[in-house]
Amino acid sequence: MPKLTIDGKTLEVAKGTTVLEAAQQLGVHVPRYCYHPKLSVSGNCRMCLVEVEKSPKLLTACSTEAAEGMVVHTATEKVKAARRDVLEYLLLNHPLDCPVCDQAGECGLQDYYMEHSRAKSRFPAEDKVRRQKRRPLGPHLVLDNERCILCTRCVRFCAEVTKTAELEVMERGDRSFIDLKEGRALDNGYSLNIADVCPVGAWTSRDFRFKQRVWFLKKTPTVCLGCATGCLTEVHHNEGAIYRVMPRPNAETNTWLCDAGRMVYKAVQAGDRLAKGVIKNGLIELEPALRETASRIDENHAAAAVLGSPWLSVEDNAALARLAKDALKTENFSFDFNAEQGIKDGILINKDPAPNAAGARRVKAACGGLSFGELAAKVASGAVKVLVTEARAAALLKNELKAGGARLIVFAANRSEIPQGAYATLPYANYFETPGTFVNFQGLERRTVPAVAAPEGVRPLWAMVNRLAVYSGTSLHLDSAEAALKGIL
Amino acid sequence: MISVKKVDNRPLNWLERIYLPEIARGLAVTLRHFFVNLFNPKGMPTVQYPEQQLELPHAAKTRTRHRLKLRADNSPKCVACFMCQTACPAYCIRIEAAEYPDNAVEKYPAVFDIDLARCVMCGMCVEACPEDAIAMDTLEIPGGEQDRARLKLTKEDLLRNLPGEPSVVGAANRLANEYLKSKGGA
Ligand code: SF4
Ligand code: SF4
Ligand code: FES
Repeated sequence: MPKLTIDGKTLEVAKGTTVLEAAQQLGVHVPRYCYHPKLSVSGNCRMCLVEVEKSPKLLTACSTEAAEGMVVHTATEKVKAARRDVLEYLLLNHPLDCPVCDQAGECGLQDYYMEHSRAKSRFPAEDKVRRQKRRPLGPHLVLDNERCILCTRCVRFCAEVTKTAELEVMERGDRSFIDLKEGRALDNGYSLNIADVCPVGAWTSRDFRFKQRVWFLKKTPTVCLGCATGCLTEVHHNEGAIYRVMPRPNAETNTWLCDAGRMVYKAVQAGDRLAKGVIKNGLIELEPALRETASRIDENHAAAAVLGSPWLSVEDNAALARLAKDALKTENFSFDFNAEQGIKDGILINKDPAPNAAGARRVKAACGGLSFGELAAKVASGAVKVLVTEARAAALLKNELKAGGARLIVFAANRSEIPQGAYATLPYANYFETPGTFVNFQGLERRTVPAVAAPEGVRPLWAMVNRLAVYSGTSLHLDSAEAALKGIL
Repeated sequence: MISVKKVDNRPLNWLERIYLPEIARGLAVTLRHFFVNLFNPKGMPTVQYPEQQLELPHAAKTRTRHRLKLRADNSPKCVACFMCQTACPAYCIRIEAAEYPDNAVEKYPAVFDIDLARCVMCGMCVEACPEDAIAMDTLEIPGGEQDRARLKLTKEDLLRNLPGEPSVVGAANRLANEYLKSKGGA
């Protein structure tokens, strides 16, 4: 356990800790570009130079291991001069096109320039090395080689995290540039993380491109519902529109985020978002839709069934359970989902594409009900005449519904989700718009936090269930999400 | 701090209360102005804006209606960086960015609106612009309109009145064109 002194403060660190990490523990920020806590150390940008007593030259803090008795200074005149010089060097061939660059506002070059340099450029624009700008690479990214500072974070990400190694540095010296290996495509399913790790504006997202300036964005911490992994995310939005989803690194699940998970938000503002009810194929106002649905359920009171959904929050599943038990007074309900879970690709993507099978099972533990197979058999045999469920869960019973001919009543957020042959569809607020509890494959309970408002008139699913019960003459007293959760979590 | 000023509301005296002498006094003032202006119209302080204009002092010249400048190839210089929108204290600028398929500079404003009904003519947008793309030198002072919507300038409005472009409508354009002519424009 070496003991070292950084800027006059002494601390003891684990063996193998670098000076940069030790400084971080003391709350001293050493500027860095190529260092990334989850990638191998490369030591090429030289931004992290610090002065170490008894060493003739400045050392790179990111690649120097802390040693017993080391005395480190991070803010001497010599270090400051070195930072200025490194920045001048990194900016030599930089195109300075911040006004058109999406990274502006969260750019490492801008931040460190303002903090450590503020020197006027001595390099005339005509002498700068020109490289290729605006290269669309892969389905999600654009590369601007002129803005690159060759820190190789992107190259290391592809080599070490996705292990696909599509990128490499070509040429030498001031001619070097990042390039795709011949015959390769940048479609590894995690490519948008490259835009995040790139400290400058060389890699930017095509989806986010030119949509918003980053300083207008508000950030809401929430959970990804792309699969059972349940990564922590941050939704960036402004004036009621979502613009991007970023990872919220944490020790339990994720540092990164997969490309598919980042695109889940698109459904929220898609053109086919439901704000009214659908009966057969026609849109109708919400209240008449609820009344019609309730009377169809009442007709077949004795033969009604409810299926929960691994895509719904625990609250909403619980509300469906209450609907079955207290309003329909039926034993025909199931919250039993047992898809195989676990990380599929060794990185993040789960074998189970539904985010909340574990949460639905908690509802089962509290409320009982049939197993999935038992309910499926009843639907197939025609014993069930009306089935209430969520749109994607209905797809799990596609063949049984066809065989048994039960009337299908679903909750759906988007029109494209509605399964074929659904009799009635009711809209609900999705989890970018309403809070919900989800249980991921590790059993961790995570809550979504609403970032934007639901379309006018659209309420959370538990509230819709409450209205539905009122129309068929029972009050479930579901006045809040907490009321639905009572006795379950 | 609020300061309080006592007003001496003296009651009207008898002469004032009978009303007629005061009316005569008021009429005398009006008539004096009428006859002075009738025989000496040059002395009138009223400026018949926009037909007539006073030479604006230097700083005020750069606080007139905005325009967007053009590059040599006639594309707007603006790159939709949102600096002006960010700097604007009145929140009157609204930009939507778009991408050129093949221009060397990738970004341009698809929408660029300035709501003059909100604008406080502070010139912050001009200060903030890194591309020297917006200017407030048209010498046109935004005036009264019948309808708020007419005070909203769109990108097309902001790009007109540039050298080589003919006037479209109204006195305001005429003035701006005269100004451009005096600067050697078409
Ligand atoms: S593109 Fe970005 S991440 Fe890759 S080397 Fe250049 S600066 Fe680093
Ligand atoms: S600051 Fe200039 S370049 Fe940027 S958006 Fe405004 S007018 Fe356009
Ligand atoms: S962070 Fe240490 S050399 Fe780049």
